Amino acid sequence: MKIIKVSLIALIVSVIGYSQENTTSIIENSGERLLGHNISNSVTIGGYAQIDYNEPDGSKVGKLDIHRMVFLFGYKFNDKVSFISEIEYEHVEEVFVEQAYIKYKASEYMNVLAGLMLVPMGIINEFHEPPTYYGVERPNVDNYIVPTTWRELGVGISGRIDNASLKYQAYIFNGFKSYIDGVGVLRGTDGLRKGRQKGAESVVSSPNFSTKLDYYGIQGLRVGVSGYFGKTQTDDTTIEASTVGVSMIGFDARYKYNNLELRGQYIVTNLSGTEDYNTLTGQDLGSKMNGLYAEIAYGFELKGEEKITPFLRYEKHNTHADTEGSLVANDAFDRNEFIFGLNYKVADGAAFKIDYQLMNDAVSGSDTAKQFNAGVAIWF
Amino acid sequence: MHAIKALDDFDRLSLTKDNNNIYSMKNVAIIAILVFIISSFTTSKRVEALIKKEIKAVFKVETYVQHPVIISDKINEKLPLKILDTNFFKIENSANLIGYYYLGKAYGKADYFDFMVIFDTDLMISKVKILVYREDHGGEVGSKRWLKQFIGKTTTNTLKYQKNIAAISGATISAKSMTFEVNKLLKAIHILHKNQQL
Repeated sequence: MKIIKVSLIALIVSVIGYSQENTTSIIENSGERLLGHNISNSVTIGGYAQIDYNEPDGSKVGKLDIHRMVFLFGYKFNDKVSFISEIEYEHVEEVFVEQAYIKYKASEYMNVLAGLMLVPMGIINEFHEPPTYYGVERPNVDNYIVPTTWRELGVGISGRIDNASLKYQAYIFNGFKSYIDGVGVLRGTDGLRKGRQKGAESVVSSPNFSTKLDYYGIQGLRVGVSGYFGKTQTDDTTIEASTVGVSMIGFDARYKYNNLELRGQYIVTNLSGTEDYNTLTGQDLGSKMNGLYAEIAYGFELKGEEKITPFLRYEKHNTHADTEGSLVANDAFDRNEFIFGLNYKVADGAAFKIDYQLMNDAVSGSDTAKQFNAGVAIWF
Repeated sequence: MHAIKALDDFDRLSLTKDNNNIYSMKNVAIIAILVFIISSFTTSKRVEALIKKEIKAVFKVETYVQHPVIISDKINEKLPLKILDTNFFKIENSANLIGYYYLGKAYGKADYFDFMVIFDTDLMISKVKILVYREDHGGEVGSKRWLKQFIGKTTTNTLKYQKNIAAISGATISAKSMTFEVNKLLKAIHILHKNQQL
């Protein structure tokens, strides 16, 4: 308890020290601030939206959906301190907080971040605004293996080393929940996805470590390596089998040269203690999951900002790459897909998209599922 | 004594992590606050010092003096960006003109950032440097190797993002905005030169 008191005192001292530095600033109420001309400098409003039409080939009917609509509100207190929040409406009815964190710029090389933040793993989880990727829907590796939009509560640091063209991020996050009210929530078909706590009254039993390094010193190329390590969370710490160990490693690369764009990523997750977990919960969680995709796109410039970009992507992912104990790997979780389509960018931040997906799994004799997608992508 | 006891407590908290898991998140919070406090001691004259250092390095001089370049309102109206006595300076060493520098702002996603552009006497770019970057995202534009692309560009060049200036994935907004601002600057300098202002 002493250490907490000591740090509290230190914090209070630093707050006092800080406020003395700013005695000249005029105190305004929010009304005055709204009327003041400096509002545009401190408030940021933005957002993004993805509106889809999905039509599986075959007997099922098509589906129209406002898949997600997100509003960004940011407030800058001063050059060092700002707050960013994103409120998400998913399928019109579900409301989530997607991000809500404070950023404190400690130095030119380091920001301290705290709150609800995105876990840096692969490409899409951090850069998920619809106009930034090809295809109506996000890649499926970033759904089954990296459970986008993956965000948790925590604290961290991030920054850049300009001389080395390097960006680093390191966080301590609350982890996935695996066991709540006597029920195990992680399962074979989508791995960790159901375990995301999304900052909603999340249970915490052990913190998880997340880190990412990005190198962009070669013109047009950006490569990243991400790591996520820890243990899942349980509301009953007396049951050892109610948690599993998680270790996820990702590699990603993006390359742009004139109108050519290439990107790819590989993610591998090892889970420990799944045999005991499955025995306890009756679930079928795999002990290893992996996924990769590779994408090629080439843009043709039309008038002004308009650009039409055909793309092709191959994805392969398996949430039962390995299983422990008596659990037999389910071939239906070993999935692959070809997707090709067109991205018609009409403005920076607005695009029309169409694509066609051919999805298959490793079950022998299984049919290829086909789906046509069309959508609108917005980001401002 | 208190401090030693506190450290003892702290050690015990860490060691009992697995049995009393709730303590580990507490530890994390404590460490975070300590890092936060320690890291908040930063210098305020950083930007001024940085500008001086860059100019001295580019022109290989020990000392220099700077004077604002005064441009009339009439000419300023023709420019794609305003040249003021606070953002554009000529640099002299022993009463000889050795170059110019410009202080600019460009916008990222949620905030602006500050940069400087140094020109030689032929109005060719000798150096571009990000002075202050405020947002967490998009700071990749500060990369020394990426900014190198601007060196050697002259006022007759037109800069196009992802054409003669390479893209940075994950920092598109800032990189595009930076390219756009430097391009405007080149156009402005070109007009000033044509009007015998430089």
